[in-house]
Amino acid sequence: MITPEQTNLTLGFIPLTDSAPLIVAKNMGFFEQWGLDVKLQKQNSWSTLRDKLHAGLLDAAQMLAPMPLASSLGLRCTPTKVITPLVLSLNGNAITLSEKLHQEVLKDNGLSEVTLPLAAYLLQQVISVRKQQKRPKLKFGTVFPYSCHYYQLKDWLASANITELDVEIMVVPPVNMVGFLESGEIDGCCVGGPWNAKAVRAGIGLTALTSFDIWQDSPEKVLGLLDSWQKKNPNTVLALSAALKQACNWLETIPNRFEAARLLSAEQYLDASTDVIAPSLIGSCLTHVNLPPRAIPSYNQFSKANNGSINVPEYIRGEWLLSQMEKAGQLSGVEVPNDLVKNVFRPDIYQQMRLHLEDIS
Amino acid sequence: MRHNVLTNDKQVGTPLLRILLIDDDQQRADSITSVLNNSRYKVIHLASPDMALLKQVDDIKPDIIVIDIESPSRDILDSLSTISHYNPKPVVMFSAQEDTNTINQSIASGVSAYVVGDLEPERVKPILDAAVARFREYQKIKTELSDTKQQLASRNTIDQAKRLLMKKKKLSEDEAFKAMRKTAMDTGQKLDDVAKTLISLLDNF
Repeated sequence: MITPEQTNLTLGFIPLTDSAPLIVAKNMGFFEQWGLDVKLQKQNSWSTLRDKLHAGLLDAAQMLAPMPLASSLGLRCTPTKVITPLVLSLNGNAITLSEKLHQEVLKDNGLSEVTLPLAAYLLQQVISVRKQQKRPKLKFGTVFPYSCHYYQLKDWLASANITELDVEIMVVPPVNMVGFLESGEIDGCCVGGPWNAKAVRAGIGLTALTSFDIWQDSPEKVLGLLDSWQKKNPNTVLALSAALKQACNWLETIPNRFEAARLLSAEQYLDASTDVIAPSLIGSCLTHVNLPPRAIPSYNQFSKANNGSINVPEYIRGEWLLSQMEKAGQLSGVEVPNDLVKNVFRPDIYQQMRLHLEDIS
Repeated sequence: MRHNVLTNDKQVGTPLLRILLIDDDQQRADSITSVLNNSRYKVIHLASPDMALLKQVDDIKPDIIVIDIESPSRDILDSLSTISHYNPKPVVMFSAQEDTNTINQSIASGVSAYVVGDLEPERVKPILDAAVARFREYQKIKTELSDTKQQLASRNTIDQAKRLLMKKKKLSEDEAFKAMRKTAMDTGQKLDDVAKTLISLLDNF
């Protein structure tokens, strides 16, 4: 058994379906089992979550997978060494179009219904019709500059040679996304659950495709913490990672997934109905009020994907995320140290944690 | 959408500085507004999450933005700095809950953001005055720095062109410089531009 140096912890999370591992670990007693007394603190914006982690106001946090790299490079923040010993989830995002854009896609392409997953080239016609009519460019919302959401949206658009010259992409916090879609402030968005399902249930949008349709099994959320904090509290980090890994394993079965949806719906977490939380967790992608859901078994992945454990923060995943940042033009003029990924992604801590986990099973 | 514009219309002369205040707490917003009412500020209050934030920033063109660090709109504001048509503006963030000194250290230096503690009405004016002053100072230094860099770069270009002229046309330093200056005056170009043209021409021979 591990003896954690620090036992009282505050973890930050953003209310999203894939914050499930943190909420499950808390409610199923996994943190306790590893001698940790954890307080979960809900955060409203990724920038504030990052700043609080950097300042030590949060001991660790659920982060967007590219964020520890961005922190370490000092992209729009003071350079701060953030590491990740654990990948928390894969996939989980989707692209939803407003009902207005859905109708434009149908009309401008002379279609009576769309085929899902939606091919991005169907937007080309909308873009050129809008141009002819001198109407504003299409606007898409994404949750943070250093997020898979942004890179996935760009990739999907790029599959039809659509770039940021043709459409506008702006940052919108997840909590505002459905409202922005409804008010017409944006025409589409790439966001995580439960926001896509929420837009569909409310008749506000069409979920055109999931992130799994764009990238298969890419890391989405990771456990982020300061390198300096890990050095001071190596055993606490092992205990924390072990408890979260247990929660990820617990989330493997469908019956447990439904229970997780019920936990997440509580006011102090997502404060949303299981109607919109459960579907993605049990592999269902709601598409439109008048259309049947799509079966996407890997919509949310927390432990095993097809090729074994997904939770190892492998260098190859870090390198791949870094290449996405590069592709998005976020590293121009930035000096990237050769050992950046090795310093941020820490499979060594994960492997150590695995040994302790095996001890108890 | 709650949207209150409260200004002191009696005050004329110096233009008022427009503050966009993003805060969920209506009571706090009201008291801040009333304190600032008799000063050089004009407060436009938005409760967050507000759908029209970007449009408001576009329409209002605030001179300063004051935001609760807990507001979801913070991510939108952060991303504004990368959109070129939004001029940089000072952002004052406040936090009613956290130790602001620690957060302040972690916010990028040079970014136009300052974190302060809870916005108590009696403290708010000096805080804003200081933020505006610091921001202007920072912008001035930034402009001066880029001017200096520009000057250094053009001095290098001129030197390089002069050396090329001396070497290829067998001129003395003085003759080379005078030839360049004459071309500049005759053609109405900047010395820097003449030097660039010369380099591209002479380097090819």
